[in-house]
Amino acid sequence: MEHNDLALDMRGITKIYPNVIAANREVDFSVKPGEIHALIGENGAGKSTLMKILFGMERPTEGEIFVDGQAVSFSSPTDAIAKGIGMVHQHFMLVPSLTVAENIVLGMAPRKSGFLIDYREALELTRASAEKFNLHVEPSARVADIATGMKQKVEILKALVRGARVLILDEPTAVLTSQETAGLFQELKNLKEQGFTIIFISHKLNEVKELTDRITIMRAGKSVGVYDTGAVSEEEISRRMVGRDVILSVEKEAVAPGEVVLQVQGLRYVNEWGKQALDGVTFSVRSGEIVGVAGVEGNGQRELVDILFGLRLPESGTARVGGVKLTGLPQARIRSLGVSYVPEDRMTLGIAAAASVEENVISDRFQGKRFNHGPLFRMKELHKESDRLILDYSILCKTRSQEVGMLSGGNIQKVVVAREFSSDPVLIIADQPTRGIDVGATELIRKRLIDLSRAGAAVLLVSADLNEVMELSDSLIVFYEGKIAGYFDNGEWDDVMMGEYMLGLKHQSDEEIGRASHA
Amino acid sequence: MRDRRMVFFGIARGAMAIILALAVGAVFIFLSSKTPFTALRYLLIGPLLSFHDGSVIFNAQYLFQIFAAMIPTIFTGLAVCVMFSANQFNLAGEGCVLAGGFIGGILGVYLQINSGWHAVVCVLAATVACGLIMLIPALLKVKLGASEMVTSLMLNFIILYVVLHYLNFNFADRTKGATMTKAFRSTAVIPSLVPGNSKMSVGFIVALLATALIAFFMYRTRWGYAIRMIGINESFALYSGMNVGWTIVLAQVIGGMLSGMGGSLEVLGRYQTYLWRELPGYGWVGITVAILAKNNPVYVPLAAFFIAYLNKGCLLMSTHCDVPSEMIDIIQAAIFLFFAAEQFLSGFRQKLVVKTATEDLMRLEADRGSRGGGSHA
Repeated sequence: MEHNDLALDMRGITKIYPNVIAANREVDFSVKPGEIHALIGENGAGKSTLMKILFGMERPTEGEIFVDGQAVSFSSPTDAIAKGIGMVHQHFMLVPSLTVAENIVLGMAPRKSGFLIDYREALELTRASAEKFNLHVEPSARVADIATGMKQKVEILKALVRGARVLILDEPTAVLTSQETAGLFQELKNLKEQGFTIIFISHKLNEVKELTDRITIMRAGKSVGVYDTGAVSEEEISRRMVGRDVILSVEKEAVAPGEVVLQVQGLRYVNEWGKQALDGVTFSVRSGEIVGVAGVEGNGQRELVDILFGLRLPESGTARVGGVKLTGLPQARIRSLGVSYVPEDRMTLGIAAAASVEENVISDRFQGKRFNHGPLFRMKELHKESDRLILDYSILCKTRSQEVGMLSGGNIQKVVVAREFSSDPVLIIADQPTRGIDVGATELIRKRLIDLSRAGAAVLLVSADLNEVMELSDSLIVFYEGKIAGYFDNGEWDDVMMGEYMLGLKHQSDEEIGRASHA
Repeated sequence: MRDRRMVFFGIARGAMAIILALAVGAVFIFLSSKTPFTALRYLLIGPLLSFHDGSVIFNAQYLFQIFAAMIPTIFTGLAVCVMFSANQFNLAGEGCVLAGGFIGGILGVYLQINSGWHAVVCVLAATVACGLIMLIPALLKVKLGASEMVTSLMLNFIILYVVLHYLNFNFADRTKGATMTKAFRSTAVIPSLVPGNSKMSVGFIVALLATALIAFFMYRTRWGYAIRMIGINESFALYSGMNVGWTIVLAQVIGGMLSGMGGSLEVLGRYQTYLWRELPGYGWVGITVAILAKNNPVYVPLAAFFIAYLNKGCLLMSTHCDVPSEMIDIIQAAIFLFFAAEQFLSGFRQKLVVKTATEDLMRLEADRGSRGGGSHA
């Protein structure tokens, strides 16, 4: 196909980072005008890198880019924006303390009398473009106060106002409820009808099937196929992505929960922005069960988990593991009670990136008798332990002494999980354990989580991926504005119903919620 | 960067930095000297070979002098390695060398033990005392969050003037013209290792033993491991259940002990009386040494040798030619600059990475293929 017929054509793109394996190798990627084009692949397949190159955030080592048939070379996002390319990042690039309108016009604000910002004009501009693109936002609301789905609309609008004809959306649904996702899809379809071209990056096959016209699949830094969405099945796509069949649903046996392991009683916490992040949360997790915490992000889950692992102190209330009060204990003590924690942010808490795989998997047990002989490490035992974990958790690394930071996201998470799951925990707190990682690693982590719970561990699973919580959990707690909005233990739930509780449309009675505590 | 090629690259980059720094030095020598080639000869090979009437002689005494000069800088280099590994930019090694020298010296004069244990006791007392001194910036950091860089820097001057006070008012030998203590008892003197006046004392062997000990400590013990992990990612260390505060204190106390030991060995091995009246500068050299050694204790003696060699070369150059001995400062500064510049040779590094990555991918792919793609299962 000639460049002229394409909205966008990337040819032979190769990108090699100074400290990472080749992220892209001779990737060809082209998008027709007015289509929604999915870019999918496992984490570490090179999608983000390719898009960063397209948006001028990275320079390719080799390769050419054509926009509307014209060869272009971007040295910064400003160049890309000038050529009509806009990007909505997974983590929003908005200033929370400014209003929606101020965010929209940031860097291109209308002026009056030379240097003052014409705020009224900004409001007007925002309102007009919101109307034009059919993206309804409240121009005078502060970004800090609006919901996640709304923030995303602001991001999209921001790109469109800057003249974007091609929109890149990086995993836009990762943070949305199912209702918000449905809304987003409708808006994207509207934009498509208006002639905009959309590149949709995702891990979620069902969304890709529902929304997109064509699909480019990436694997190991290369493009491994371009398809019309209608012509391939989800199974086929997943096979292409990982080179094998992935079991998409989770199998787990029914369970008879044992004794209460974690008892949370009346937890209250005011966060750093003065918001009542936790407002009297009471529940328990019993041995052998997986309790899922669902909720739109920012409804108190983060604070709950931090308190449970001693990273914050609650205003009032207690959390006990096996009868011992957790709150205020140092991490070493919490761990010695048999609590394991898979943190949400693996790069800042979960690993020491510049240390080796071995040094990372032993960080919670290196003081144990088994690994020390007098003052010295028993190096053989350390090697044995790390080799066992690497093998057991299929961590793809050259040797145990390879730097963890050099591994892909999924393998880094496997390093974290290998450590946290292998210390015979009585309670596992798993916070977004599979966020942003590839299908293979996700499957392994979920399976291990179930195995551990069936073997008697209590699991508290916090996840923004609603499917994950619904699939894995034996019972479900829904968080809304720092309170438990609903407790479900019958296994009968679906995403629509969850969404209603997550968005605060429904609320169970105190009696029903009280069942979450088995004290 | 544990890949063999990357390790090699690291060494090559270090060598290039040194060569470029020497080149910068050479430029100044050519600018300032009437006999630049003779000056360069003294700088580069003078410390090993002397030239007399056209014949070339290997000068063992010079080599011994270089080894002697390495004694305090190996200790301060190790101290900085340990502290910097924990991400603690503690600069009080300088003050601890002085304090260690003073305490060792005073005990060498006034303590009465009639055997070789006298010297051992002096050195160990100085070591322990300086470990305790380091508690000040360490505890201020851990308990109150005060920057150890600021407090340790200030501490150097406090140590200096406290030492001067006691030297002037309590321990100065009034019969001498300059301010110094009485002579050390013979039992306190660190014996020389070789004949001659090179001052290469038993301290050199102690320094090498300390290097081995610290290398083992850092890479083969739970405390060294904790220090390194804290240096890489403190949040990770905390989350893993390590006692971060205690370990940070430990690293600085060890730094103080090493510096104090180095100071006392230097004073008792080189002089007859205690006479330092200003900061000796070994703490600062220790920072250069640690940077050259990339915080790896194993490389500390090499780095210390390099610095001592350069110093000796500069001394010879300034004695025999018209080049000022300050040249060493220029060369040291240039080395600092080239080492600190992360981007130095990054283009070449990038090419190397590309090559490694391509090979990696091919291997990985072959691996996947041969395992039937079941690599995750």
